[in-house]
Amino acid sequence: MSLLQMEEVSSGYGTMRVIHGLNFSIEPGERIGLVGLNGHGKTTLISTIVGMTGWQDGSIEFMGQQIGGRRSHGVGRNTPKIVRSGIAIAPQGDAIFPGLSVEENLDSGAYTDGAWKTRKRRRDSVLEVFPPLRSRLKQSAGTLSGGERRMVSVGRALMADAKLYLVDEPSLGLAPKISIGLVAALCEIDLGDGAMLIAEQNLPLLSGKCDRILGMHAGELKEDVGEALGDIPPAAEMS
Amino acid sequence: MIELLASALVLASMYGLVAVGISLTWSSVGMLNLAQGFVFTAGGYVAFLFAQYMAKNFSIRDGVILSLGVVFLGMLGSAVAGLVVGGLAFLPLHDRINFPVRGLIATLAISIIGTQVFMLIFGPQSKPLPQIFGIKRLKIGEFSIAYGQIGTIVVATIVLLLVTLWMRNSRRGLQMRAMMMNPLGANMVGVSVRTTGMIALALSGALSGLASVLLGQIFFVSPTSGVQPLIVGLIISLAGGLGSMPGTVAAAVLLGLAEAVTARYTEQSFVPFVQFALVIAILTFRPRGLGGVLEDVRE
Repeated sequence: MSLLQMEEVSSGYGTMRVIHGLNFSIEPGERIGLVGLNGHGKTTLISTIVGMTGWQDGSIEFMGQQIGGRRSHGVGRNTPKIVRSGIAIAPQGDAIFPGLSVEENLDSGAYTDGAWKTRKRRRDSVLEVFPPLRSRLKQSAGTLSGGERRMVSVGRALMADAKLYLVDEPSLGLAPKISIGLVAALCEIDLGDGAMLIAEQNLPLLSGKCDRILGMHAGELKEDVGEALGDIPPAAEMS
Repeated sequence: MIELLASALVLASMYGLVAVGISLTWSSVGMLNLAQGFVFTAGGYVAFLFAQYMAKNFSIRDGVILSLGVVFLGMLGSAVAGLVVGGLAFLPLHDRINFPVRGLIATLAISIIGTQVFMLIFGPQSKPLPQIFGIKRLKIGEFSIAYGQIGTIVVATIVLLLVTLWMRNSRRGLQMRAMMMNPLGANMVGVSVRTTGMIALALSGALSGLASVLLGQIFFVSPTSGVQPLIVGLIISLAGGLGSMPGTVAAAVLLGLAEAVTARYTEQSFVPFVQFALVIAILTFRPRGLGGVLEDVRE
């Protein structure tokens, strides 16, 4: 059974349709790259999965449970329930909590009961992925640099006891060196039977590191674009 | 001197309880709750009904059980009133456009209707509450302080301390603070804005209810007795910095002191002037208030 199965999913904001009848599935253990230009629906696809678009239609099944359906209002009303059922999001930009310490920001990601009880252990494993945060645990998150804020945002998503991680544009607005490190760290995490979807504009960052790379164009998915672009060298060699 | 300090701290306790409630709702729910006065009065009337019932049916007019009952039911009554306000003004409106303005209007309506309902049921006369701390006075040298004053200060301090600790250390507290900083982000880590908002409203209601019962020791409960605490609570929560417990408490002490000193050495009618002047001064030098934890006040 697929971890996430989307059938004929459309969504958008107001009178605008951004996602056009998507069919798409994620298998357990997969790490998927989602590439495409600005404004072609990458972020909207992620928002649709967690019910944060203005309206949506079509079936989204997560671990056999329907989390989609037809909806024309109540933006984000189902999001907490969907997140708690096992989907963690690291949103575009970083929706961190500026006045809370880094530690509290991370803890807030461990929302489900199981994750909350094991939050110390989880925090340690997040700190192994992002060592620069270790010395800043007690510092207010609003005072961090852009790269560190993004680490907090992604780290907060990793704190959750989730089966599916949705990471939206981890490299956005970061210096090339920092974004290479961040994406590399994301690609090294052991997912077990979970899965991860990384939306990214910068294709070379992902090439060779994901199981599948899907292209997003004008609200429609182009299947595996990774092979067609196979001759692009990985980012580390480019710089 | 001690008497002056005592009356200042009594005022500070009452204002602090109301202001912390208003500050909590304003910063986490994102709604300026103008019905907080209605919530405040509701607790006073519930406590009054309980005292009346006990006096009529069991002839109990004082004692520990009555006191505890009055405090508990006052808090419960206001917490329920807070949930009613949430059900009418928060749940149906919070994800519509322009929620801050709509919420403001909705709570204003609840406040006006609530006052009239109390007027209809209980009449315009003031109702007394039983003296929960007794009527004796503690003598220190040539000064004397009423037990009621000491009790008010102690209870308010303990409750505010507990709420502060809860906000700082518990999971719900973390959720609530997360929601204050970034409601969208909180939603994305699985914090239900609706549930947390209702908890905030109930909690701020309970704090107002406690203040209402404590104020009932000095004044009587009347349909409009929530107006003054609402106004002072609002300016204190602004001066203290929205969402900051220590800032709000500090502002409450400052304004309580200002009120006590002004009333003692000049006239009671000068009190609002001094209070507002003080708040304007604070906000001039610290635009985010004394505590100022929020990066930017929610629009």
